[in-house]
Amino acid sequence: MAELQMPPKKKNSPVKTIKRSIIAAAVIALYIWTFLGINIDWARAFERMVNNFERVIPRLFNPDWDAFDKVMDAMIETLYIAFAGSLMAAILAIPLGFLAANNMTNNRFLTGVGKWILSAVRAFPDLILALLFVVAVGPNPFAGVLAIAIGSTGMLGKLYSEVLESIDMKVVEAMEANGANKLQILFHGVIPQVIPEFLSYAIYRFEVDVRASTILGVVGAGGIGTLIFFASSNRNWNEMGLIILIIIVVVTIIDFISAAIRKRIV
Amino acid sequence: MIEFKDVSLVYPNGTQGLKDVNVKIKEGEFVVIVGLSGAGKSTFIRSINRIVTPTSGALMVDDQDILTFKGKDLRRLRTKIGMIFQNYNLVKRSNVMKNVLAGRLGHTGTFRSIVNLFSKEDRSLAYESLRRVNIEEKLYSRADELSGGQQQRVSIARVLTQKPTYILADEPVASLDPPTSHQVMSYLKKINREDKITTIVNLHFIDMAMEYADRIIGMRAGEVVFDGPVSEVNDQTFEQIYGRAIREDDMRGGADREED
Ligand SMILES: Nc1ncnc2c1ncn2[C@@H]1O[C@H](COP(=O)(O)OP(=O)(O)OP(=O)(O)O)[C@@H](O)[C@H]1O
Ligand SMILES: [Mg+2]
Repeated sequence: MAELQMPPKKKNSPVKTIKRSIIAAAVIALYIWTFLGINIDWARAFERMVNNFERVIPRLFNPDWDAFDKVMDAMIETLYIAFAGSLMAAILAIPLGFLAANNMTNNRFLTGVGKWILSAVRAFPDLILALLFVVAVGPNPFAGVLAIAIGSTGMLGKLYSEVLESIDMKVVEAMEANGANKLQILFHGVIPQVIPEFLSYAIYRFEVDVRASTILGVVGAGGIGTLIFFASSNRNWNEMGLIILIIIVVVTIIDFISAAIRKRIV
Repeated sequence: MIEFKDVSLVYPNGTQGLKDVNVKIKEGEFVVIVGLSGAGKSTFIRSINRIVTPTSGALMVDDQDILTFKGKDLRRLRTKIGMIFQNYNLVKRSNVMKNVLAGRLGHTGTFRSIVNLFSKEDRSLAYESLRRVNIEEKLYSRADELSGGQQQRVSIARVLTQKPTYILADEPVASLDPPTSHQVMSYLKKINREDKITTIVNLHFIDMAMEYADRIIGMRAGEVVFDGPVSEVNDQTFEQIYGRAIREDDMRGGADREED
């Protein structure tokens, strides 16, 4: 039988292999150290958990419908926060996306700055941002809007810049060749190519932001999270049950609508 | 009139794109540039509208040396030179009408064009251009719904809407099948005749060059190695330009073309 000629194996440099093994060993050591370090009476913890389950779960499944109006109001406030925040982000992300896209900003230093800003912003979890803004503008829904806006700008800006980098530059060249100026090329050559994706990402981000903003109230940034905070402090599990139910239903509806819209756009 | 005077172009990586090119192209001529891959055909064509910039010599378009042009002058130059590309370069998601109106951008103020306020004359010209290449029924179709040949006709309409003095076409039929290739070349030839637009086309195919050109320029390694009217061209001329015997794939064939 003829011997099959196989392609040569991809060589892994020994430095890389060693580096990887060291990192893996360090991670495992860290885990072991952490678990040995904490002092938990596992038996008691388990017992308490079972007890709580018996007390809490049945009441969660028995929602307090008298609170419906109050909870629905808070949910609508949450939607407003998410909408205002995503809208601000969808707009703020446009200039940053252009700045960070290699083919739009022909300057390595500037695109570097753009990409750096976008990843720096993304490094903050929504809750931390919310805490910061509660301190800055007070404990109200506006703090929530700002937290959502800044958090989403980081991600949308990055996605926008990737969409921009993938456009057909031949079109841009063709317009340049027939005498169009930079702004005309932007509006007639670039924007028509990216609008559907930009919109689709913004809507998707709204979907994510609805989920994110349900929790913001816990730190005082408005919305349904405020009620979650009070219900859990007061051990009002029946109301908590209703809150969770409403969040699940509303988030599911929004996901469904958003997916349907996005499918039609692109 | 276009005149290359001792034009050379060296790319930043050291490749010699053009070497001491001296060529004069008169009003209304239909010139076909032939040569092997890498001979410098695209570089020649792209120098004329300054997509690339020659590094020495002088390139006169309508008695002005365009090698010194910048900013506004450059855009004015490009406005009077229409360009057709191998891959059509249409905005795929926009409809045919928008793509054809893009040909007016150089003639339209920035603000008006951004808010899509093209004049009545522009719209009528765009429609008229589409009719001239028989594709007016696709007016509101999205560009990516059209076949390759149809897209190339739209790109010809875009150039017509630009009302250029010159048309440059870089391998306009390289992505098309033989009958469609002939159709596209026929439109280019017709426009050249009817509007007296000086036309310069890069082609790979000997038979097409012979069929449509008034004059053939042969290039090899950045140099012009042949320049003369079609009547002076024969198979030996091509063998001399290519530096090898003619092969079957130098021919497009399919002269039995469909009309439409
Ligand atoms: N941007 C560039 N940078 C460096 N070298 C280039 C560049 N563009 C073209 N060249 C080189 O210049 C020479 C001429 O290229 P050109 O594209 O003009 O050839 P062509 O005759 O159009 O070839 P083809 O038939 O393949 O399109 C080639 O050797 C090519 O590799
Ligand atoms: Mg070429």
